Amino acid sequence: MIYELKISLTIYKIFYAVFFVVILSLVRGVTYSEEIGIVLEGPMAILAISFCADTCTQEMVSRRSEIQRLYPMKKRLYSVYKRLVIQTLFLLFVAAAGYGLFFLFQDPGTGRNFFEDEWQLFLIFFAAIVVTLGFWGLLSNLFSCLFQNMWAGIGVCLMLWLMTNSSFGNRYFGAWNLFSYTFRSLENNSDFSWICGKIVCICIGIMAAAALPKIIEKRG
Amino acid sequence: MGIKIEDLTVTFRNQITAIHHADLEIPKGIFGLLGENGAGKTTLMRVLTTVLSPTSGTVTLDGIRYSQKNFEKIQKKIGYLPQEIDLYPGLSVQECLEYMGDLSGIPRQTCRKRIRYYLEKTNLTENRKKKMKQLSGGMKRRVGLIQALLSEPEFLIVDEPTTGLDPEERIRIRNLLVDFSEGRTVLFSTHVVEDLAATCSQLAVMKKGKFLYSGSMKGLLEQAKDHVWICKAKNEIMARELEKKYPVSSKQYAGEELQLKFISDVPPQMKCTACEPTLEDAYIYIANQKP
Repeated sequence: MIYELKISLTIYKIFYAVFFVVILSLVRGVTYSEEIGIVLEGPMAILAISFCADTCTQEMVSRRSEIQRLYPMKKRLYSVYKRLVIQTLFLLFVAAAGYGLFFLFQDPGTGRNFFEDEWQLFLIFFAAIVVTLGFWGLLSNLFSCLFQNMWAGIGVCLMLWLMTNSSFGNRYFGAWNLFSYTFRSLENNSDFSWICGKIVCICIGIMAAAALPKIIEKRG
Repeated sequence: MGIKIEDLTVTFRNQITAIHHADLEIPKGIFGLLGENGAGKTTLMRVLTTVLSPTSGTVTLDGIRYSQKNFEKIQKKIGYLPQEIDLYPGLSVQECLEYMGDLSGIPRQTCRKRIRYYLEKTNLTENRKKKMKQLSGGMKRRVGLIQALLSEPEFLIVDEPTTGLDPEERIRIRNLLVDFSEGRTVLFSTHVVEDLAATCSQLAVMKKGKFLYSGSMKGLLEQAKDHVWICKAKNEIMARELEKKYPVSSKQYAGEELQLKFISDVPPQMKCTACEPTLEDAYIYIANQKP
């Protein structure tokens, strides 16, 4: 696990992820704490896309994949999944820290009991962002691997991101939109219909995880 | 048993044919693969390591035919050092080898033992804690070779393993390959003729995707016998004339005159003496034969 950690979490990646969230929490204004999740979900998805796109392609660029073809598929896959989990966990930590930074820098109005309601809001955000990060990370790795090019993978994911993280996506997909959490009703905290969108993410994510071994076998 | 290639053709999507209807048998021991840049050596190696699928023809390894269903069986038997490889720059030599050993399914203790042994053999023990990105080109090449040897494969395929090594290290690596080849097959591709002369008894010469020669080293030297000549040119103009007419394998100053060694099927119309061909001369002779 330690080797995967060193391979997938390089200094420059850690630096740009932290820098990204610090800048975001400084420049993106929020009035109420309910908005923090909305402000974070879209940009964190972009971060996951760029972060995970090179999980497999770095092996191709360096020609290590030619050697890895000789290794048992199970071991190779296990290593790729370990790298994805490590990167997602790191981004999860960054997202959680970013959530806290909004409180630190902007002190948004809450009007609620901090130790009960705010924690509940944070936990809901955390659950949503786990799915978002896992989904976009996996998808960008899958497309990068499929096209054998990190930038192609990022490009395809960004197109999907633009389509779904927009009023168009909200209008056409509604609660089933991939960014349903971002477009949820802020007035009604008890409305959890956005979970449908996250279920869609989980279903597509499972399909992507199932397709990855075949793609690595063919392309990797 | 070994590797058998029959009527192999590899054509890329851009319609460039890298290997044309090639036949070859690679027996046990070190087998050299010699050829100019772009001759098709690397393509052949990529086919043998299952990275590339041939357009037509058959390849068998120890009687196992190359096909999708047999790839797993074949891959277990092969160790490979590609021509260009960038091993994990953020890991130390020891970590990199342990990681690759783990991926190839070698038990941890056995892997560590082998790493220690091969680091010693390649003179890298002192550098085992250095990060891969801190190593010189030659050191990286040696680490690359160790990863190919780690699983102690029955078939070792090495693409220019001595590139970037100093003379002492080259000898060390060559000797390591000779020791390793006992009871195994090692396919050693290079364009450094000296390396093959020092290690192989069997070799093949490739040019433009075809095998110009395949057989023993002795046989290759035999073919070039009586076709290698030495003569002295009084000046540069005369030397240039000779270079235009014949493939020259060496040229050096001997006092005021220039001594040239060249290849010619028939005795040249000038004062010259026949000499014993070296492997380099024989290669030049074969490579310049008209089809």
